[in-house]
Amino acid sequence: MSAPTQESDAMVTTADPGVGTDAPRGLPFWANPRFGLLVVIVVLVIVFTSLRSSFLNTSLTLVPMQQDVSVFLVVGLAQLCVLSLGHMNLAVPRMAAISAFAMGWCYQHLSVPLWLGLLIGLVVGAAVGALAGWIITATGVNSFIVTLALDFALVGLVSLLYSHVGDGVAFPVHPAGMTALRNDTFSDYCAGNICGPPVPLIVPIALVAALLVAVLFRLARVGREMLMTGSNLRAARLSGIPTSRRIIQAHALSGALAALAGFLLAVNSGAFSADIGNSFLLPSFLGPVLGGTLLSGGAVSILGTVLGAALTEVIRTGLNLLNFSVQDLNIYIGLVLLVALSLDRVRHVLAERRGTRA
Amino acid sequence: MTSTIDTTGAKPSGEPDSRRGSSLLRAQVFLRGTDFTLIVIALVGFVVLASTTGGNLLTGGTLKAVFQYLAVPILVGLAQMSVLAVGQMNLSVGVLTGFTAMAAAWLMVRAGLPAPVAVIAAVLLGGAVGLANGLLVVLTRINGFIVTLATMTVIDGLRYGVNGTGTFQNYSSGLVSLGQGSILGVPNVFILAIAVAGAVAVFFRRAVLGRQLLASGGNPFAARLSGISNDRAIVVAHTLSGLLAGVAGIVVVALSGSVNASIGDDLLLPSFAAPIIGGVALTGGVVAVLGTCLAAFIVRLVDVAQAQYSIDRSWVDLIVGAVVLGAVLITQVRTGREGRRK
Repeated sequence: MSAPTQESDAMVTTADPGVGTDAPRGLPFWANPRFGLLVVIVVLVIVFTSLRSSFLNTSLTLVPMQQDVSVFLVVGLAQLCVLSLGHMNLAVPRMAAISAFAMGWCYQHLSVPLWLGLLIGLVVGAAVGALAGWIITATGVNSFIVTLALDFALVGLVSLLYSHVGDGVAFPVHPAGMTALRNDTFSDYCAGNICGPPVPLIVPIALVAALLVAVLFRLARVGREMLMTGSNLRAARLSGIPTSRRIIQAHALSGALAALAGFLLAVNSGAFSADIGNSFLLPSFLGPVLGGTLLSGGAVSILGTVLGAALTEVIRTGLNLLNFSVQDLNIYIGLVLLVALSLDRVRHVLAERRGTRA
Repeated sequence: MTSTIDTTGAKPSGEPDSRRGSSLLRAQVFLRGTDFTLIVIALVGFVVLASTTGGNLLTGGTLKAVFQYLAVPILVGLAQMSVLAVGQMNLSVGVLTGFTAMAAAWLMVRAGLPAPVAVIAAVLLGGAVGLANGLLVVLTRINGFIVTLATMTVIDGLRYGVNGTGTFQNYSSGLVSLGQGSILGVPNVFILAIAVAGAVAVFFRRAVLGRQLLASGGNPFAARLSGISNDRAIVVAHTLSGLLAGVAGIVVVALSGSVNASIGDDLLLPSFAAPIIGGVALTGGVVAVLGTCLAAFIVRLVDVAQAQYSIDRSWVDLIVGAVVLGAVLITQVRTGREGRRK
């Protein structure tokens, strides 16, 4: 059983760029989308720094940037989990919102500790995700429609919950540890004279999530079987993979990650409010797609998602410093997405042409 | 599963319309079809709503408003349906409607153009953006979902670029009185929407180009073998979608008397809801003009019910979400049963 899963390595891109299993045979190293992303990020950082030296200011730019990247990375991972199946999860924003409601409610009315509330939120997110997965497998309806309709329903449900059960639009609650998580960086914690790097406390949370997802898709049997399911549903079913269960599990994981993203955003913004998740839909696709994850399923790239999320944030912060308005920002982010994807295409065509000539 | 342009695998071949066969058979097909179910739901919903509100729904002003504000949902539903026909999606439908509305108002207020010129220019602008969408999909071979996600972001920025968050008003009084007027009690904009729907229906049913679009959407491989250009079908479908969004934008301008850049924010989800409830498959090859219009009407009834009973606005989203899921489930169960019968 494990032999065929291992052989699909060539299809499956992973967190480690050095392994080299991710580029199809015969393609030069620069045809790797991760390499292109890294180059673009470096170039943009140089450009923005030369235009505005404050771009590398630690407290003003770098720390908020890391916080935002952490949120968008987890949002991207939430989408990536279902992209591995060739599915989509349009309800990522609202799964985050309803989990944030659950967390806020627990903190407010049950006064649970920070970690327990997060755990409850993750369970709620996973449950909603599993519901989406179950509807998809039970009915065979396209995941796009199911999650779109679910998003519709949750939009209504979340604002109803906030206006009836919660008081107004937000829980102004600050459980112990949340403020530290929000404001502190590791440089605030010193052992003797040695202090940590200026990295916000939420960054490790996002990185651990990314690492766990990478391990899941790289090493765990469940993750490999999800990729098999995404790459060829019938073949996967015929080789004895419980495809329905894998689909439900992937959607549940997507919901849990959406919940984590909602938690991180709430920590960043300081309140569990009804508009958490509103801005999640585009970033959820941006990270994975820029990083080379296929919409058709069967291949994921966690490192690419990290780089994709970082690239978007670099552009956003850079243009912000250059005094672009929010609306102009949208235009440029959309254009960058188009250009990046077109370049990716060009690079692929060039690489293939070179490959055949050689 | 998202339909990509190069998907050539076996797709469930949709039945766009089984017009061959005796009229009896046709009647049977109709009675079992989605359209008939939707008509029953629409009628029952309307009657229940009219009777429980004590006839308030049937008074002139209310009834007129029901149909006036039905025009835009129908048009954006059709705009989405046109791209669904070739197995594509257009996430930019909503913001494009807002952008064309703002552009039309800008042309009248700032550039001082007469209303007819501005109207035509705005519709053409919509078509041009749709054309750009189609060309991007064909030239880059990127999934249409991602392309229109990107153009949605761009157009969203452009929409606010026209006049920031400011409002345009006092443009052409002639256009507004035309938009708010009615003929024999039927609102003009509703007549326009129905006329456009009729034209779209004729296009997909009778025109060679329309049939080619459906053939390409139903089975791109077979279409290519029969000499149909799938690329051209995609470009045409996106252009049509943009044109229809442009018309929707004009309707907004004519109907409301003042426009700002937030127009279109709440149109994306309804644009999918109408065709999907109406029986259009995401895999392409199927259109349902009547179904889309009826579904838009049913969604509108939910809206009206919210206003009539003064329910919390949030219930509308909740109910519409449930209706979409329910409609999809019913279709799935029915196709499953028919498949077994065969």
